[in-house]
Amino acid sequence: MQSIFDYVERNTLIHRLHPMVKLLHIFLTLILIVIPYWPTTRDLVVLLIWVGLNGLLWAISRLSLRQFGALAKVLIGTFIFILLMQSFLYRGGTPLLAFADIPIWGGGNLGVITREGLLFGIILCVRILAAVFALPLFVATTPVSSIMAALTSLRLPPTFIFMFVSALTFTGMIFQMWSTILDAQRLRAFDIEAMNLIRRLRRAYVPVLTPLVLMLFRKGNDLQIALESKGFGAPGRRTEMIILRFTPVDAVAAMGIFAVFVTALWLKYS
Amino acid sequence: MSQPTVRLRDVSFTYDPDVAAIRDLSLELYPGDILAVFGANGAGKSTLCYLLSGIIPNIWGGTRTGELEVFGEDPWGHPIHHSARNRSIVLQDPEAQLFMPNLQLELAFAPANFGLPRAEILDRLAWALKTVGLEGLENRNPKALSGGQKQRAALASALTMLPGLLILDEPTSQLDPLGSEGVLEALRAVVAKQDLTTVITTHKVGEVEELANRALVLDQGRAVLYGELDEVLDQVDRLEQAGVQPPALRRFFHLVAPGRTDLAVTPEAAAEQVRKLVAEGRLQVSPRPATPTGAAPPAERAPVLQIEGLSFSYPGHPPVVAVRDVDLTIGEREFVAILGQNGSGKTTLVKCIVGLNRPQRGKIRFRGESIAGMSVGQVATRIGLVLQNPDYQLFSVSARAEVAFGLENLGRRPEEALVQAEAALVRLGLEEHGETFPFRLSFGDRRKLAVAAAVAMGPEVLILDEPTTAQDYRGRYQLADLAREMRDREGRTIIMISHDMDLVARYAERVILMLDGRIILDAPSADVFDELEVLTSTFLKPPDSALLGRSLADLGVPRGTLTPEQLADVFRPTVGVR
Repeated sequence: MQSIFDYVERNTLIHRLHPMVKLLHIFLTLILIVIPYWPTTRDLVVLLIWVGLNGLLWAISRLSLRQFGALAKVLIGTFIFILLMQSFLYRGGTPLLAFADIPIWGGGNLGVITREGLLFGIILCVRILAAVFALPLFVATTPVSSIMAALTSLRLPPTFIFMFVSALTFTGMIFQMWSTILDAQRLRAFDIEAMNLIRRLRRAYVPVLTPLVLMLFRKGNDLQIALESKGFGAPGRRTEMIILRFTPVDAVAAMGIFAVFVTALWLKYS
Repeated sequence: MSQPTVRLRDVSFTYDPDVAAIRDLSLELYPGDILAVFGANGAGKSTLCYLLSGIIPNIWGGTRTGELEVFGEDPWGHPIHHSARNRSIVLQDPEAQLFMPNLQLELAFAPANFGLPRAEILDRLAWALKTVGLEGLENRNPKALSGGQKQRAALASALTMLPGLLILDEPTSQLDPLGSEGVLEALRAVVAKQDLTTVITTHKVGEVEELANRALVLDQGRAVLYGELDEVLDQVDRLEQAGVQPPALRRFFHLVAPGRTDLAVTPEAAAEQVRKLVAEGRLQVSPRPATPTGAAPPAERAPVLQIEGLSFSYPGHPPVVAVRDVDLTIGEREFVAILGQNGSGKTTLVKCIVGLNRPQRGKIRFRGESIAGMSVGQVATRIGLVLQNPDYQLFSVSARAEVAFGLENLGRRPEEALVQAEAALVRLGLEEHGETFPFRLSFGDRRKLAVAAAVAMGPEVLILDEPTTAQDYRGRYQLADLAREMRDREGRTIIMISHDMDLVARYAERVILMLDGRIILDAPSADVFDELEVLTSTFLKPPDSALLGRSLADLGVPRGTLTPEQLADVFRPTVGVR
């Protein structure tokens, strides 16, 4: 199954954009999600503007939401947990619904859902959503070769760039190995997917993780041989094979993204 | 004479802490030489490749004595990128050596590391891709290529450094016949165009018979044979002693005309030679009936496995159909081989049989009972599958615990499971290794351990997936021998997935041939090897001994004569005539 981090080959505007524009989008997203937020409708709107931009970019890039697959389940679980925690544990604020009176330290009440708590929970969820939506817009629309070229143009060391690319390659390999190991153990009446959570945590992962780790060590070793026997680490400057060009369309796209960012910030701090 | 590319004088190498891998090895190779290196697993073939390429001592450490020179200098003491300027190595696992996102960057990787001009790299890249027959695939992700294409890509990637020494460590050992042929064809093109020195290690002697000019046979690190390829291959007894399988036709001639040289290496030429020897009175023909299999024909056996209208597709847009409308009945005590190229649906079919894949259409019955409602574990007590690579399942602290694991999952008490595990270890000849950590066992023994784990669960049907992959001559037939013994003594039904035609000729009584998810042929082995056109359409080729037997049918060679030994039963040397 394809993950949201796998490159999806299409010929859309987003796919054709210079990787640096997409990196700019990631960078601005990071800024927007790490700045402090308050449980106000205005702050929520600020984030929704950015999520809206991400949604628009997703639509243009024709990425499929289906790719979220298993991640969507994890996200939904996380969001429910955050909303419940924030709604009940937020200290102070306007009560929305009261089930019981269980005061806790700091002024909160475990039996009361507050408007601010709920809003803060929603804002937290939207921040996560903004981050999760942003990354595939870079990795799923940019061939790894172009990512490498973009990272090189940022003058990052080749070893770092290669580690990044290897991590992407190894992710796919780990999924494949995981599935083969699960099959091999199911043939011995060991079905991890049929176990409940407690049983899984108690004993399930050793028969799967042990072969996985040992195989990864071996693959890592093979990779080292393959790399070094091809002159990786040779002194001197590497030849760049991919030459990226920054076009007027890239400039317009970068300015557009930046304009939305400035608008969101203006709204937040005005 | 030009300077040697490679010169070894009394070279010995011992891995840390104390594992001797090469002993007193001396050899010289010149530009244009193609050295084939044969030997059993652990004979020192890969170590020789690592010594020449600089992987030893830069990645693997150890102690070396003796003189070693490659292009006039000792690679010892130089960083590996220094060696990479004039020599390239291709490893046996195609997956391990392709790591870039597309073929263009993959091939450019080595020359780009040395800062060669971009235009020159692109020229080299185009030439290398053309040479290995992959032109037009520059932008393809290497991971998306077939096994054979991947290995050709690895070869092309080695060529872009325009090496003077090309080292290939078992380049076809993990490929199907189609993939192997592609790599060998590419290799023939490479060695024809380049004045380079080539070292190629392999278990498949026949593959390099028409490629190499020199040969080295290693046994426990020592050179037991070294010289011109023909002279080395004529030493059939010594090859076998060293765990190297001689080519089928040489083995046949060794049996019927020992001591003769200049013997033919193709079935057609061999047939002419046999006719001549018979005409000259040097060989006598003593026609015999085909070797009986000792088992009843399939129709007379009670069905143990019945498959009706089976289809399976992998999810996708659109779905990928892997098995189409398969009908199949397998009787008890049958020894069946399922043949076909990678992607023909063999593995998907057996995964459906053991419940790992749930088919969208069709029924599978074991002894009349549908497996549809059973868990994979429940099916495993009836039908056991031994996967190709045992390392995907081994995790326990001892071999005994490894075998007991499946039994405990079935709900057996730990003491009972250990007793049954011990019995399975004894059956596989692993009783001495009961307390050994599985990863300390040799690859062959790890495979046996995986069989023990499957057998312990008590299946009546045992399926072996590619039992000869990455195995040497001695280890190659070990699993098939065990399987045959289990069929004969314990009445189990054996199904083997393979594209090893020698293995099929020796063991299987029935062959099922698959292409594009369908069964295109289902017949006794002897008949299948007569279906040359069908086999060719699936890129399979009968063993040379079977082809020779077929072309000598008019001399009285019976149908079903498949192995050199069976063929040698028909032709006997005339006593007193040489």
